[in-house]
Amino acid sequence: MSLAPSPEKVPSASVQVRRGITRRQALAAALATGVGVGAVRLLGGSMQSLATPRAGSGTDWVSPLGSESARVMQLLRRTSFGYTPVQLESALSDGFSKTVDRLIETNPVEPPALGAAATPGGRFAVGQVQQWWLDHILATPAPFAERMTLFWHGHFTSDYRKVADDTFIYWQNLTWRRMSMTNLRSMLMQVTTDPAMLRYLDLATSTGQSPNENYSRELMELFTMGPDNYTEDDVRESAKALAGWQLPQPDSNATVTVANGVTRNLPVYSTQRPGVFNTRRAFKGNVTYLGKTGPLDTQGVIDRILAQPATAAFIAGKVAQHFVTAQPDAGYVKTLADVFRRSNYDMKTLMRAVLTSPEFSSAQSYRTLVKSPTDFMVHAARALGSTNLSKVIAAAGSGMGQTLFDPPDVSGWPNNESWISSNTVVERVNFVSAALSQVKGALPSASDAPRRQLDGVLSPQTASLLNQAVDDRARWFITLASPEFQLK
Amino acid sequence: MTKAINMAFPYRASAQIGINKLKRRDFLRAGLVFGAGATGLAAGYAAVPDAFARAVYAAKLEGLTNDNVLVMIQLAGGNDGLRTVVPLANPSLHDLRPKLSGPMVSQALPLNDQFGLNHNLGAIKGLWDKGKVAIVQGVGYPNPTFSHFESIRIWETGDPTRRQVDGWLGRTLASAYDSNGHPLTGCACGATDVPGALRDLQATLTVIQDQKTFGFTGGSEVEAAVGALYKGTPGIYGALFDTAIATATETMATLRTSAASYQPMAAYTDKVQLVYSSKNQLAAALQLAAELIVTGTGVKLLHVTLGGFDTHYTELNRHDDLMGYLDSAVGAFYQDLAAHGMSDKVLIATWSEFGRRPKENASGGTDHGAAAPLLLIGDPVKGGLYGEAPSLTSLDATGNLKYAVDFRSVYQEILGGHLGADSTKILGASFDSVPFLKAPVSATV
Repeated sequence: MSLAPSPEKVPSASVQVRRGITRRQALAAALATGVGVGAVRLLGGSMQSLATPRAGSGTDWVSPLGSESARVMQLLRRTSFGYTPVQLESALSDGFSKTVDRLIETNPVEPPALGAAATPGGRFAVGQVQQWWLDHILATPAPFAERMTLFWHGHFTSDYRKVADDTFIYWQNLTWRRMSMTNLRSMLMQVTTDPAMLRYLDLATSTGQSPNENYSRELMELFTMGPDNYTEDDVRESAKALAGWQLPQPDSNATVTVANGVTRNLPVYSTQRPGVFNTRRAFKGNVTYLGKTGPLDTQGVIDRILAQPATAAFIAGKVAQHFVTAQPDAGYVKTLADVFRRSNYDMKTLMRAVLTSPEFSSAQSYRTLVKSPTDFMVHAARALGSTNLSKVIAAAGSGMGQTLFDPPDVSGWPNNESWISSNTVVERVNFVSAALSQVKGALPSASDAPRRQLDGVLSPQTASLLNQAVDDRARWFITLASPEFQLK
Repeated sequence: MTKAINMAFPYRASAQIGINKLKRRDFLRAGLVFGAGATGLAAGYAAVPDAFARAVYAAKLEGLTNDNVLVMIQLAGGNDGLRTVVPLANPSLHDLRPKLSGPMVSQALPLNDQFGLNHNLGAIKGLWDKGKVAIVQGVGYPNPTFSHFESIRIWETGDPTRRQVDGWLGRTLASAYDSNGHPLTGCACGATDVPGALRDLQATLTVIQDQKTFGFTGGSEVEAAVGALYKGTPGIYGALFDTAIATATETMATLRTSAASYQPMAAYTDKVQLVYSSKNQLAAALQLAAELIVTGTGVKLLHVTLGGFDTHYTELNRHDDLMGYLDSAVGAFYQDLAAHGMSDKVLIATWSEFGRRPKENASGGTDHGAAAPLLLIGDPVKGGLYGEAPSLTSLDATGNLKYAVDFRSVYQEILGGHLGADSTKILGASFDSVPFLKAPVSATV
């Protein structure tokens, strides 16, 4: 397969439509109609219809997804943080189906161990964990596992500030990667007993006598079922059933001077381990949870959650929103949810169903997702062949709204249109300048960049600026700072 | 609007490019990096020029309302009302909170013999003593949800039925101020994304995380090129992207002027000791708010956030820290506004998605609750206690405090009495009055 355009996709001239529409109307119409905008999509070839002004949004991107090469590029953008030229060549020669197989079946690759993890109390800069992860994302031969790890980091989220132990944060990242494409049932047990999570949502201090509701509530609301599928009584009852978990015992302790002569005795961990269950802190007796009464332990809570149809729908809907389209329709989500539930919550089955669904590669889903800041920055680094950008990327996420291990709140990061504000777009452009300034030596040729990075589907503005750019630096700047490159 | 083209290399440009009938903005001097052609192209980029926008804005405002300003401070995570406005003589408090109640009562700053402010709210207590703080107690809504995100959405949209999608301040912008798209009318300071309260598809607003870094690396050349790049962008996000860039560029121009003429007249500091550091630099955000207000940028609705109030554990130190941080930032903000002669225009209001459970948990914290007090601060308020403190013995079925004042009563007073906006239209209904304003606009017009 090559990147040469198929005959029917050769350039059309730009055509004026809906001159009368104002910016504001376009904005309202575009967002109000959401994915329904496909109904007024101006497809290449249907030239006659272009002359007639239409209701709804002004214009839309012309989908190139009729060609397999475009489908492969979209697949890598959505699953692998983009691609280097080599990664793209290899996927193009494999084709779409084989690439999906490879993504699904490639096991996660463990990052190199982080030496700082043995620091007493996990008192080392979170920037070290951020940079360590980004280095791995940039280098790994299995980028889909990293994309899924980021997805789960936003879903089963934890915040380094409250966890207050970066060793636990590092462990959580290792665990999320290992479990990223396994089974929701075992994942939920690992999430519940993860030390960072035990601290972040306070399960580590909850007792049967006086339960803390934080984890109990978010387990149902944010991690599995979604709001309105359980009662306040369910929150209280599962808080009892889940109580008893504590942080693991450290391997040793060390006395450390923390500040001007103040010393503290801090835990030191040389090996990763989950939380431990202390039956003396557990609740003894029956609970009534999600309609059934009796004794209930943590596995019992998880199994009852998995027995609720809402769970598969909630996870499938979130996956669709992150990987397919901003507003997936209910029928599509139900189809995915049914597949997921029938597979006993196997993530490989769900993700294969997502990536091979017609919706994933349909013209209607083209450029309907906004790259997250991490997505965008890693893709830019890959496009430029830069491997030295992890520090810049770790620092630049904040202004775009995404600092790894520091989500805005317990719901993780919002997505798509929430990534767009006056602050974030400026920061995205500034990152491109920073990334270009970090390139040592000559930049890779930009002559192919618009086709390889932007599918050759350009707004007239982008096309014109590229035509007028005087050198590769300017062409790369336009390509990476363009609205096209912010989308996937 | 032009159609996106599916192009082969080399790219074909539309003949329409660079010929823009909007008023031109002459900020480009020598955009040579991107080629001479780009200069003309970039010059065609025009949001609404500064002076133009302001003139239109002024005309729009004339006769409509006033030059009052609203600053909403979100206490994100669910602020503990009982530790903010402390019941001083309620024997039930100790029963509910054996660990948490002791020092909070003994150290509280008494407002009367029944209630006191958290001991770290010294500056706000000083304003109370001058009659500049109104406290509305027992604020909530029917059938409360204990989900952060559901309740945040209810407060942001002003709709407990959860049908409304636009924010109450966003709707205010759109209906009362925004038809000309002045980007600074609504501004979120210290944030990277648009707060839900300000969100409305018809509203233009600005988001500035940190004024010091808000600008394009590479200056006017980059600004011009990016302005040219983000124009007529196709697709469902096209207008959002283009508006964001146009708004940012416009705001940068305004900030260049305002930063040059603004001198802070108070000490703002974010170097506050917190049990764990806050994501939100509240003092810096309020300092930016003060700059925008005192330099006459036309700002009307500002939103800032202080996070960390979800005190499920070790609440004692954490909540006290947060109160102290809030107090020092608000104290400096008020002082700055007053020194610039602007404090009579500005109403500061706190909000939080819910209060906390009266009964403490085993982690030395409190779980999600319901009714809580709101603070309204500034010269426009008529100081005092409003609403009704919830009973600590007659709790609701979930063990939470019952509300006495619908939060939309507070919104109504802010919208109608302070901003002079049509609160019934914006909120969709009328609510009981909470007359915490000294001279409500509707009474003077």
